[in-house]
Amino acid sequence: MTALACADAEPPSPARELWQSLAASRGALAGFGVLALVICCGLFAPWIAPHDPVLQFRADLLRPPIWSAGGDARYLLGTDELGRDILSRLIHGARISLFIASMSVAMAMLPGIALGLLAALHRNALGALIMRAMDVMLALPGILLAICVIAILGPGLLNTMLAIAIGTLPSYTRLARAAALAELGKDYVTASRVAGAGTLRLMVMTVLPNCMPPLIVNATLGFSSAILEVAGLGFLGLGVQAPTPEWGTMLASARDSLHVAPWVMLMPGLTILVSVLAINLLGDGLRDALDPRLKKVG
Amino acid sequence: MSLLDLRGLQVRFGDGPRALLAVDGLDLQVDAGEVLGIVGESGSGKSVAMLALLGLVDPPGRVSAEVMRFDGRDLLALKPAARRRIVGQDIAMVFQDALASLNPAYTIGYQLQEPLRAHLGLRGAALERRTLELLDQVEIADPRQRLKAYPHQLSGGMNQRVMIAMALACDPRLLIADEPTTALDVTIQSQIIKLLLRLQRDRGMALILIAHDLAVVAEMAQRVAVMYAGQLVETAAVPRIFDHPAHPYTAALLAAIPEHSRGNARLSALAGVVPGRLDRPAGCLLAPRCALAQPRCVAERPALVDAGGGTAARCFFPQTFPLTAIVPEAGGG
Amino acid sequence: MAEPLLRADALTRHYRVSRGFLRGHATVHSLSEVSFSLQAGQTLAVVGESGCGKSTLARQLTMIERPSAGALWLDGVDVAMAGSAQRAALRRQVQMVFQNPYASLNPRQTVASTLEEPLRINTALGSTERRERSAEWLARVGLRPEHGRRYPHMFSGGQRQRIAIARAMMLQPRIVVADEPVSALDVSIQAQILNLFMDLQAEFGMACVFISHNLGVVEHMADRVMVMYLGRIVEIGDKQRLFARPLHPYTQALMSSTPAIRAADRHPAIAIHGELPSALDPPSGCAFHKRCPQASARCAAELPLLREFDGQQVACHRVEDWVPQSCA
Repeated sequence: MTALACADAEPPSPARELWQSLAASRGALAGFGVLALVICCGLFAPWIAPHDPVLQFRADLLRPPIWSAGGDARYLLGTDELGRDILSRLIHGARISLFIASMSVAMAMLPGIALGLLAALHRNALGALIMRAMDVMLALPGILLAICVIAILGPGLLNTMLAIAIGTLPSYTRLARAAALAELGKDYVTASRVAGAGTLRLMVMTVLPNCMPPLIVNATLGFSSAILEVAGLGFLGLGVQAPTPEWGTMLASARDSLHVAPWVMLMPGLTILVSVLAINLLGDGLRDALDPRLKKVG
Repeated sequence: MSLLDLRGLQVRFGDGPRALLAVDGLDLQVDAGEVLGIVGESGSGKSVAMLALLGLVDPPGRVSAEVMRFDGRDLLALKPAARRRIVGQDIAMVFQDALASLNPAYTIGYQLQEPLRAHLGLRGAALERRTLELLDQVEIADPRQRLKAYPHQLSGGMNQRVMIAMALACDPRLLIADEPTTALDVTIQSQIIKLLLRLQRDRGMALILIAHDLAVVAEMAQRVAVMYAGQLVETAAVPRIFDHPAHPYTAALLAAIPEHSRGNARLSALAGVVPGRLDRPAGCLLAPRCALAQPRCVAERPALVDAGGGTAARCFFPQTFPLTAIVPEAGGG
Repeated sequence: MAEPLLRADALTRHYRVSRGFLRGHATVHSLSEVSFSLQAGQTLAVVGESGCGKSTLARQLTMIERPSAGALWLDGVDVAMAGSAQRAALRRQVQMVFQNPYASLNPRQTVASTLEEPLRINTALGSTERRERSAEWLARVGLRPEHGRRYPHMFSGGQRQRIAIARAMMLQPRIVVADEPVSALDVSIQAQILNLFMDLQAEFGMACVFISHNLGVVEHMADRVMVMYLGRIVEIGDKQRLFARPLHPYTQALMSSTPAIRAADRHPAIAIHGELPSALDPPSGCAFHKRCPQASARCAAELPLLREFDGQQVACHRVEDWVPQSCA
C-alpha cells in the first residue's frame, strides 16, 4: 500500500514547541529571565549573599544604598534599623518566598485537582457536595481565611503554607472539574474506554494531561499571589517570624524608619513588585503558548 | 454583460517563496439569474475566494485581482464604506453551520431585523411586516412565535432557513451559499435545496453554490467550476461536465463516488494528498497524483485552455481519457 | 444458520434529563427495542439521521453503557450476565472507529503511544513487542513507522482516520463498529479510507457495524442494511433487496432525498415536510406518521412492530396495501 506523505521535517518535541512559543513574546521572555534570576538567588543564597542575613552590624545602622551620600561599598543596598545588610536579606528572602510559594501551590494543586476530577466523574451527590464545599471556601476572602487558619494553628512556616494553600485550593478544583467535564465528552476518551481503560487510568493518563493548560497557568499566577500573601501575612506579623529574612516582615519592620530611611521599605517593596510582575508576565505568555487554538498545525 | 466578473483573483498569506497561495488566479463569471457551482475539496480555496470577493479576508491575507466587477462597478476601486454598502445589499452570503453563524445571545427576530434596519432603514410596523414576510418565504411555520426564539432552540434546518432569510432581507442580486447543506440531515438537505432553487427562480437571483458534494451541485447548478489547491482546473456546463469531464481531477472526483463503482470490489481512489504550503509542485499541481502525468506536466504549469463545447480546463492533455478510466492508487494493492 | 456473532435482543436505552430547576425530569428514549443479529465477517450498515439512536447503539455495542432493558449477546454470551473478567475479554472483541478524526485521538499522546494503549491495557506484551506491533500497523494503514513519534495535530483528517483504524485493529477484534468513519472526509480521501477498510476486512475477516447516513457508501460497503428512525428499527434486510425495493416510507424518503449526479441514479421524488421529531417528545403511534405521505389513522394511534415481509423486516402498518414504488 502506498505510504502517504506527511510534512517530512522532523517535528519539534512539545517542550521545544512550548519554548518557541514563549520566546515569541518579549514580556514572557523578560518574566522568565527575572524569575530565573530570583530562583538562582534562592538556590545559591548562601554563596551569593555578601553577608549573613541575621548578622547585625551595630556600627552601621541605617546606612543608605551605595549610590546615595554616605553609602558604603560593603552594603550595596544599605542596612536596616538593626544594621543587617539589606541585599543579603533580600537574597535569602527569595529562598524563603520561593519555598513557601511553591509549597503552597503544590499543597493546593494536588488535592485540588484530585477533588476536581472526582467531582467531574461523579456528577451526582458526591460531586455536588465537593463543589458546594468549594463554594463555601471561595466565599471567604483569601487573606481573612489565611488569618483564621493562622489564628487557629499559630504562626510559622508550615502553617503559613497551609493557610495559603487552603485559600487557593477551590480554584484548582473548579478549573480541574470544568476542564475534565469538557474532555470527558470527547471521542478520544470514549476510545480509551473502548480499549478497556479503567476509571483511574482514564482520569490520570488520558484526561488529566489535556486539562493541564489552564491549571498550569493558574499555578503560575497562584505562585505570584502566594508571594504576595506571604508578604501580606508577614507584614501583619502572622507569617514568618523575625529574624528570618522574609520580604513581608522586612516591610513590616521598616514601617517605623520610613521617613528617615525610605530605602529600608523601598528595597523589599520593589523586589516583591518586580518578582510578582515577572511571574504574571510569564503566566500570560504560558497561557498563550499552551492554548491549542493558537498552535500552528504542521 | 456578466453580473459578476472576476479575473485573476489571488489570495496570499505571508510573503516570499514560503507564502501560502490560498487562491491562485481564479477566473469566474456569473450572469444574472444563473446558478454556478464551485466544487473542491479541503484546501481548494473555494471558501477563501468568496470571502475575498466580499472583502472579508483580514491581514495577513492579501487579496489582489486583475478584474473584480460587480454589476459593472469595480469593487477594487471603491472605498471600504461604499464597498460594504454593495456587499451588504446586493451580495449576500449563507454559511455552512447555521448555529455557529447566528449569534447565540440574540433572538432570531432581532438578528433578522438587523440588516433591514441597517440597509433599508425600516422601522416599527413596516419592519415587523417585512420580517414576517421573509420568514414566510423560507417556509418557516408559525413565524410570529419564532421571532422570539433563540438559535439554540431551533433545529439545524430551521436555523439554516433563518440564515437564508437574513441573506434575502435586502433583495440581493447575488447569493453565495457556502456548503449550505453539509451540516444537515439528508431529508432536511433536500428541503433546503428545493427552497434555494425556488427562491433563486422567483427572484431572478444569481446563486453561487460552494460544495464538496458533486451530487448536490449536479442537482442545482447550471455551470460548475472545479478548484484544486487554489487553482481553477475546470469549468463547464452541468450535464457536460459530469458526462465528459475534461480535467483528470474532475474525472477522479467523479470516479471516487461510491455510486460510480457499483459492482466493483474497490472504489477508485486518487492516491496522495492535496499539496500544502511547502510542497507545491513546480509543474501541474495534480501531477504527483495523476496517473496520466507526462514529463511536460511535471515541468510546466498548464494554463486554462478551451477544451471545446464551452469547457475550459487547466491541463495539457484535456479529455484524452475515457470517462471510465479508473485512476488507481499506485501499487493497486 | 450458524450462531450469530452478535445478537441484540430488544435493546432499549433511556436517559433521564432534568428540564431545569424545579421542573422535574423528562425521559429521552434513545433506543427502543432494537433487535438484530450479525454473522461473522458480515457488514451491517446502520442508516439514519440525527436522533435515530445510532450513536447510542454504538455505545451499547461497545459495552461502554448498559442498556435500560433488553440484552446483548456476544459470541453466545449474555454481556449483562458476564463477570468483569469475561466482560474485559468480550470488550477486546469489539472495537470502534469514531466519526470525527480531529477529536478521536488524544492530542497529548504520540501516535505510537495511542496505538500501544490497547495493548498495554489488555495484553502482557513487553514494550519492544508493543512498539513493533504499532509500527507494523502504521505501515499496514499506509503511514511510515517514524510517524509514530508525532502528535495527532500534525496529520490530516484522512491520515488521522487511518491511525484510528489501526488503533481499532490493534487487538484484532472480531467486530468493528464504525461510526460514520468517512463523513468528515473529502470524497477522494473517503474512497481511500473505504478501500482500506475493505482490504482489512478481506484480510482479517472481522464483522463490521457500519453507521452512515450516506446511502452511496452504504450500498458499496454493506451486506445488510438496517434503517433507524427515532430509536427504532423501521426496516432491515439484505442490501440488494432493500435498495431495489425499499419498503418503508422513510427508507424511500431517504433514497429520494439523496442527490445523485446521474439522472439514472435518482429515485422518484417524494416530498417530505416537517422536521425530525424530538426524542423528548416522540409522536404517538408510528414516529414517522407526521411526515409520512402514506399515513393513516391507524399509524397515528398504534405503534407498528418490526415484522417479516417478503424476505425483509419492516415496521409499517401499510406495507401490504401500498404498492412500493420501484426504485431501480
